[in-house]
Amino acid sequence: MRVRRILVAIVGIAQGAIGVLAGILAFILYFNFLGVQTTLNVSAELLPLYLLILSVFSFFSVINGFFLIHEEIE
Amino acid sequence: MGLGGAIGFEIFVLLDYAYFDLAGPTMVSALFLCGLINLLTMFSYSELSAAIPEVGGEYTYTKAAFGGLTAFMAGCLRWLASVFGGALAAVVFAQQLAYFFSIFIPAVQNFILVSTPLIAAIVVIILAALDISGVKEATTLIVVAFLAIFAVFLASGLWYGLTPPEVLPRASLGGLSGFFAATAYTFTMFVGMRALVAGAPQIKEPGKNVPRALLLSTVLLTAVYCGVAYVAVGVVPLGNYDVPLLNLAAAEIVGGIGGILFAIAGMIASVSSVGTAMMVQSSILGGMSRDGYMPKVLLRVHRRFGTRYVAVIASSLFVILFSAIGAVEFLGYAASFGSLLVFALVNLSLMKLREKEPHLKRPFKAPLYPITPIAGIVMSFLLLTFPVLLRDVNAESALIFGLGLMALVLTTYYLRMVGRYRLRVAVGGISLGMGVLLALLTPLLIPRLPLYVLIFVSAVSIIAGVLNVTARTRKIF
Repeated sequence: MRVRRILVAIVGIAQGAIGVLAGILAFILYFNFLGVQTTLNVSAELLPLYLLILSVFSFFSVINGFFLIHEEIE
Repeated sequence: MGLGGAIGFEIFVLLDYAYFDLAGPTMVSALFLCGLINLLTMFSYSELSAAIPEVGGEYTYTKAAFGGLTAFMAGCLRWLASVFGGALAAVVFAQQLAYFFSIFIPAVQNFILVSTPLIAAIVVIILAALDISGVKEATTLIVVAFLAIFAVFLASGLWYGLTPPEVLPRASLGGLSGFFAATAYTFTMFVGMRALVAGAPQIKEPGKNVPRALLLSTVLLTAVYCGVAYVAVGVVPLGNYDVPLLNLAAAEIVGGIGGILFAIAGMIASVSSVGTAMMVQSSILGGMSRDGYMPKVLLRVHRRFGTRYVAVIASSLFVILFSAIGAVEFLGYAASFGSLLVFALVNLSLMKLREKEPHLKRPFKAPLYPITPIAGIVMSFLLLTFPVLLRDVNAESALIFGLGLMALVLTTYYLRMVGRYRLRVAVGGISLGMGVLLALLTPLLIPRLPLYVLIFVSAVSIIAGVLNVTARTRKIF
């Protein structure tokens, strides 16, 4: 159980952080801060698709991480 | 009391777009049609409020008729319509304030117009604080003041000698579309009187007095609105103006003081409407929380003032968010669409209850049943479709936004009903699937993202998914 508790805490925080970072990346990509669209070679046609994937991934990652962190707090 | 809820700020702003952009002088007939449709549904409201004189209004009726999901939808729609109405009222306050200052200090006008979201937010915050501290507004006084202002406006307009406008719509497709779009857009002006049914238990002999008050308010309000609109369109020809229609008409008839008077009346009406909207919202949220559809935290009562402060704060945040949009046309359509759907649900509830509980004591019965509720439902849906057929971008945006919110409402309902343990397992499963998919797509994504990032994200998602799916406890919160 102790191993699970440690794993839950680490993975929960990591998953939540990944979700938040994915969300921030979607935001940066949408507003094309620092020419990130060119850097990552993202075409204008595929931009909505990337944004959708990142948003969905971010949403579920944050919730997934939240459930784990909550279990650890409990 | 019915008029207290119904006479509101909307007339100071919604007539502009309806007249100048949608229907022209036929807006007067559009308002008459609004009154007629409102009357059809008020028959249903009257019967239901007399038969079920309980707190909650639409939410209570749909709950008695259909239960669960439909009641939840009705409650959410009513709440959303109220949020959009409150946001619109806050924006109107800023507009009327801008007009007011345009007369005395023109330099401030632009600043106010640019800062509309900020001014709207300040108004909402002040009103929320007053709501929480339990301050009541002087509704009766406001109603009497409005009726007096409108009476003076009508009398002065007729004395002024206005040009009789052509108020009947032409039979062409374009003419009819604009006419129906204006009907849909201005519909929210008429729905405020339903606040009366929410307070039915506090009224003496509700079985007799509530239907009487509802029907009388509907007829009187339709006459007042049509009269005011008739005078306004008779005085102000079609054109491009940067001043609200009623202010313009009042200034034309009575002189500068008329415009100022209407600006002050508009500001008072807006502030009053924001306060009423937030009270209604907190009441709806409280009712749904009590029945387990919303988090219990919304029922929390302030120790000192005895008001539901969490519900008021939550509602006011949404009002501030939507008032930041600042687009009157969008908010007008959104508030109308929400109300039209609620009206359709109320008519359906009436029909369902007549069938389900034929022996229920009904002190008032809707006349010409089932024609009246069916006509109410058909007209509600017609009004929802016409502005979209006209390709009005504001209506399309409001409808798409509304459908998105409804999808969110349905998702929330099912998530609440499904239980948190199942939700956790489901989210864990999705995460597991996303992690596996990412691992499979890694070779395709290597040119864009570093390999170690992809492996890390994929591994974390898979492990987190497995941990959530295998969670033993059934009680998460």
